[in-house]
Amino acid sequence: MVFSRGRRVPPRAGGDAAIRAFHVSKSYSAGSFALHDVSLELGRGEFVFLTGPSGAGKTTLLRLLFAAEHPSEGQIVVLGRNIARLGARAVPPLRRHIGVVFQDFKLLPRRTVEENVALALEVVGTPRQRTRAKVFAVLKQLGLQHRRHHHPLSLSGGEQQRVAIARALVNEPEILLADEPTGNLDPDLTVEIMDLIASAATRGTTVLVATHELALVERYGKRTVRLEGGRIAEDVPCSGAVR
Amino acid sequence: MRRAAARLLYFGRTALRGLAASPLTSTVAVATIGVCLVLVGAFALLLRNMEELLDHFGDDLRVTAYLEEGLSEAQLRGLAQRARAVEGVQSVRLVSKREALERFREGVGRGAALLEGLDENPLPASLEITLLPERRSAQGMAAVVAALGGLPGIDELASGQDWVEGYLRAVALIRGLGIGLGVILALATLLIVANTIRLAVLARRDELEILSLVGASRWFVSTPFLLEGLAQGAIGGALALAMLFGIFQLVLPGFSFGLELLLGGSAPRFFDGTEAAWLVAAGAGLGLLGSGAALAGDWRA
Repeated sequence: MVFSRGRRVPPRAGGDAAIRAFHVSKSYSAGSFALHDVSLELGRGEFVFLTGPSGAGKTTLLRLLFAAEHPSEGQIVVLGRNIARLGARAVPPLRRHIGVVFQDFKLLPRRTVEENVALALEVVGTPRQRTRAKVFAVLKQLGLQHRRHHHPLSLSGGEQQRVAIARALVNEPEILLADEPTGNLDPDLTVEIMDLIASAATRGTTVLVATHELALVERYGKRTVRLEGGRIAEDVPCSGAVR
Repeated sequence: MRRAAARLLYFGRTALRGLAASPLTSTVAVATIGVCLVLVGAFALLLRNMEELLDHFGDDLRVTAYLEEGLSEAQLRGLAQRARAVEGVQSVRLVSKREALERFREGVGRGAALLEGLDENPLPASLEITLLPERRSAQGMAAVVAALGGLPGIDELASGQDWVEGYLRAVALIRGLGIGLGVILALATLLIVANTIRLAVLARRDELEILSLVGASRWFVSTPFLLEGLAQGAIGGALALAMLFGIFQLVLPGFSFGLELLLGGSAPRFFDGTEAAWLVAAGAGLGLLGSGAALAGDWRA
């Protein structure tokens, strides 16, 4: 099956699960595991926090999920595709259905906000007018429409992270992965950014946020998977409370 | 269709942005390609003119059979008939002793006074043998000389065979040098473009990583770089063409003596439209190959 552009991918395996990991391990050197025997399932539209101290394996798990790396052992099925068996050519079509947000924003400093967000649409050949309309709509949704002609370095940290979220969401991904998205932001901005990410889940996007900020996790009361030493130490279901 | 247009627009814009991002590197690459192609183009131009001279000169190539003294009319006609029957001969013209003397007189101009002291005409009668157009070559002349050599009544056979063979050898030598130089310079051009594009890839590593994250395929990321190489090569080719034209117009007239040695009296000509387009296309092709070589490694994030 070839991934369609801009359409939801019908599930192939795993029913309604967007992400399924079966006994996944990742090792960079013999005998030392960044991830060890991790099994996990995320339903479509589910919001999950991935917590744990530095070096627990949060980033490694996210990198495996967007096929930046292959697992050393086990299987990972993302939107019906087995990452362990995914060829290089099949990676880009999969990534068009996954938005990724990083702590360091990963914006292109010499391109405007509008151009940075448009990148995700340009790779799938979206016509220019439609690209402009979609970029404007997502920037407006994130309160950045007045900044669209600015360059990232002239924006505050919170604004830059909102641009990165806009780029991740503009293609209406089925999965949103965020790696410490509020790590560089002050507490007020942290909540603002997390609210934006959480709102994506209400529209049916599966969201996985890696963070070590426990206060944030408690505030949203979402399902929380805690990693320690590369293993799942705890999987706490959603409490439903937002404080 | 709209998707393809959007992609083309993106590729063109990104390639231009890439060229503008490193103007010095791009200019050096274009200038180097230009200089390499000027040298190759100069050889091609010289060869083109020399080959054209051969084509042009071929019309005047003929074999002359100088005849022995005292042949009767019937013997002369018989020899002319024998010559006409040789394969590859188009026509045979009998030049009498008197006509030969007249020609000589006209040819020497004022020096004709020298002939007045002669008691008898020293010039022999001859047969001027013209070859069929497709046989006007060193081999064609050699075949006619071989067929007529040793016939009774023929004293000596003369042709431009030696000259043509010598000239062909000179053309082959220049072609060989041109091809050798062309291969070396093409390799140099490939390395220069490959290095320039490789530097551009490294300089834009962050951008490539982000493109990869948002789902850009390898060809989507590579195409602007290939276009950059293509543009550098094409501009280098056009620059070479302009430099060659400048040399042809301004510098060449100062070397008219050397040119006469190579081209005889014929006026040298510049590339026609198609040949000029080939030079630019060669530059573009080298640029494309060079950038392709630079991208052959795995740079993906």
